[in-house]
Amino acid sequence: MFLEYLYNLPNATEGADAIVIQLLDSFPWMVSLILFFVFLVVFLGGITRQKIRTGTADYSAWCIIASIATLLPALLFSITAGFIQLDWLIIVVTLNILSAIWFFLDRKYTEV
Amino acid sequence: MASSQITLTVSLVMIALFSIAIIGFAINFGIDNDSSIIITDDAEFSDSYTDMGANLSTFKSDAEGTYSSILDTTIEPGSDVAQSTGPFAITPTNIIGVAKNIIYLPYKKIFGSGKGFGIFFTALIAFLVLIFGLLIYKTLRGNP
Repeated sequence: MFLEYLYNLPNATEGADAIVIQLLDSFPWMVSLILFFVFLVVFLGGITRQKIRTGTADYSAWCIIASIATLLPALLFSITAGFIQLDWLIIVVTLNILSAIWFFLDRKYTEV
Repeated sequence: MASSQITLTVSLVMIALFSIAIIGFAINFGIDNDSSIIITDDAEFSDSYTDMGANLSTFKSDAEGTYSSILDTTIEPGSDVAQSTGPFAITPTNIIGVAKNIIYLPYKKIFGSGKGFGIFFTALIAFLVLIFGLLIYKTLRGNP
């Protein structure tokens, strides 16, 4: 063959899902990195824009927003077998709970 | 009741409601879409979800009791404080139970169920109890 491939070409006849799952076999961290990317984009992006507009940023609020934004693709990934591991789904849900604890306790008490 | 006590109680109730909503949403999303991965596959999440629901049910019934005791509270003429701490004691006691289960879930997932980091969790709950105690005392007696 004229062109020798360095890897096995994915089987595209079964749809895009099969290509991604085959990619995940080679690089299992991809889904977790995608989720990490979503979290950081929302978290850092929100903080940066709010600081530019108002001078301060509500870190706990952006953390809980970013957590929910991460949970949505994580749940979509969980529909098809092979996309996401149970451990990563639990980590994302746990991150939501921790964000909620931070957010709801991060209020200013007038007394104590 | 001190405004900060209301704030802290509402915060803990909101944490409980949010946690139950998120876990319930994730579970029902998986069931509705027949997902291959559902968080109920993890036994600790299933147990905690059940415990949180039971805690909130208890909180609801006891909050009604608290409200009733507030209505029954009498203040003697010439006295500017209530005779008992009954109206303050019930709701914080139950909400600490809710908070304990909520905080214990991520704690177990991060540190495991071993006893090594147990002091961290114990200290956190003790701190919450202390804060509630100080708030109740301050409501009755003024600044501690």
